[in-house]
Amino acid sequence: MSSGRDAEYTEYVTARLSSLRRLAGVLCQDWDRADDLVQATLTKLYVHWGRVRAATHPDAYARAVLVREFIHERRSVWVTRVRLSGVVADSPAAAVDHDAVLDLRAAVAALPPRQRAAVVLRFYCDLNVDQAAEILGCSSGTVKSQTARALEAVRRALGPASAAGSGAQPAAAGWAPDLPRRPRP
Amino acid sequence: MIEPQIRALFAEIAVGEPACSRVDPRLARRRGRARLRWRRACLAGSSVLAAAAVAALAVVVGPVRPGSGPPAAGPAAPRQFNPLIPYASFGWLPAGESFVSGGVTPAESYMDAGHIGPEWSLDVYARGQCHLTGSARGLNCPGSKLQISQRAPDIAGHRAFWTGPGIAWQYARGGWAWLSIPAANLSAVLHSKDLLHEVLKIAGHVRYDVTTPLVFPARFSGLPSQWQVHNISYYVPDRGLLRADEYMLTTGNSRFHPHVGDLGVWTDAPYIIAHPRGGTCTPHDPSSQNTPLTINGYRVVLKRFHIGGLPVQELCGAHADGLWFDIQMFGAHPSINVASLFKDHMRLLGTNPANWTSKPIG
Repeated sequence: MSSGRDAEYTEYVTARLSSLRRLAGVLCQDWDRADDLVQATLTKLYVHWGRVRAATHPDAYARAVLVREFIHERRSVWVTRVRLSGVVADSPAAAVDHDAVLDLRAAVAALPPRQRAAVVLRFYCDLNVDQAAEILGCSSGTVKSQTARALEAVRRALGPASAAGSGAQPAAAGWAPDLPRRPRP
Repeated sequence: MIEPQIRALFAEIAVGEPACSRVDPRLARRRGRARLRWRRACLAGSSVLAAAAVAALAVVVGPVRPGSGPPAAGPAAPRQFNPLIPYASFGWLPAGESFVSGGVTPAESYMDAGHIGPEWSLDVYARGQCHLTGSARGLNCPGSKLQISQRAPDIAGHRAFWTGPGIAWQYARGGWAWLSIPAANLSAVLHSKDLLHEVLKIAGHVRYDVTTPLVFPARFSGLPSQWQVHNISYYVPDRGLLRADEYMLTTGNSRFHPHVGDLGVWTDAPYIIAHPRGGTCTPHDPSSQNTPLTINGYRVVLKRFHIGGLPVQELCGAHADGLWFDIQMFGAHPSINVASLFKDHMRLLGTNPANWTSKPIG
């Protein structure tokens, strides 16, 4: 621990904060959750600052930390300490809105975390399959299959209209409700 | 083709990034620093946990007052610190800067202070934790090897050394302290008269053998005698009481697994977080099996999941008489499950720190 380290870290995260936040926003589709995710990511980047600094592409490293944190929300002990306090009230998950299910935004929000991460890395970050695989810590084949499944799930959710190529357009404003997910058995 | 629509959606979401962000890099830095210290304390203390646990609640060993004269002949630093009473505190800070948070373990008492941007970070080590290398080129402390640049002016009559952007000094026989300075490098410190003055004044005014106890927002009772409190983090809102908000209970069967998760985890050792600052329990967290419960009149969420192959139980309450709390327990066969621990042994003490306790077990 040193202040030199602190100064470097602060300079880095200040410069990258907005891009990390946007990536988190796209992944979470909820800016409150996105802020929690970025906060957790920044803490992790501090803990592993030596590795970030030594990485050939620090931005790719930071992005990988964020995406993996999104997928494995609870890998660290003291995970709750990174949640930002006092802003988000506890509330039950939104009830299923069958109209929203037809919405593209809701369809993407309903994807399991790995599939969502795969499509975000491919279609928001514009990474190729190998780059996405490196970030997700899986094979290229898995990225392809996760992406294919995600696209298929979205198509299914949107119905025949999307298959015909005239599917839903992004909603104009506001968040579609995050669909309730069944707890793991 | 659905792909262009998804691209358009993502672009739209990204463009809609709200200007107001709750993300706080300063908080992340502080949390990260605390985590590194936490892990360091676990690595240093795991093999001697039982002995440390017993000694931890005993009175601090040995009288310790910083004094003048040759360090080797002065009073000895404590061999262990009482984790319920932070051993050191800042006695002076530059105008506008204040204590932020701290922590205490049997081996180390640490704290951070500042206002905006990088902070002053003070680590005070118990006797025998740090060692000067043979050529006095370095100071090895648990988890950090400080490289000595040159001799610094004595601090309260004790020898001191510049180390990177920091200063290390022997505050008592066998005990070292280290102040990390918010500067890019040592040269920036030595070339700034004002900063140099601040560094020496902060270091010279550190108080040792402080007797202000921490206060805890929960009391545990009816636990076996070998249960002890460890690795406490605390904060001080508005110059009030030293409030413990995160700590761990060791059970006598607790064991540290250094390679699980980012920081390592203790099995059979409840991790407790409790504070009145609010928070969420994400009751519909898809990454865990969640069970809403009402225990002792409190609405809580019991979660079960795995980390690194270890089963984890977590009990979280977001609105427990104004407190937010969370208990995590790792391991396949813990001494007690978290729901029973909360139901039968834990009493929350409300939001008024005047009603909190300095004896978290008992």
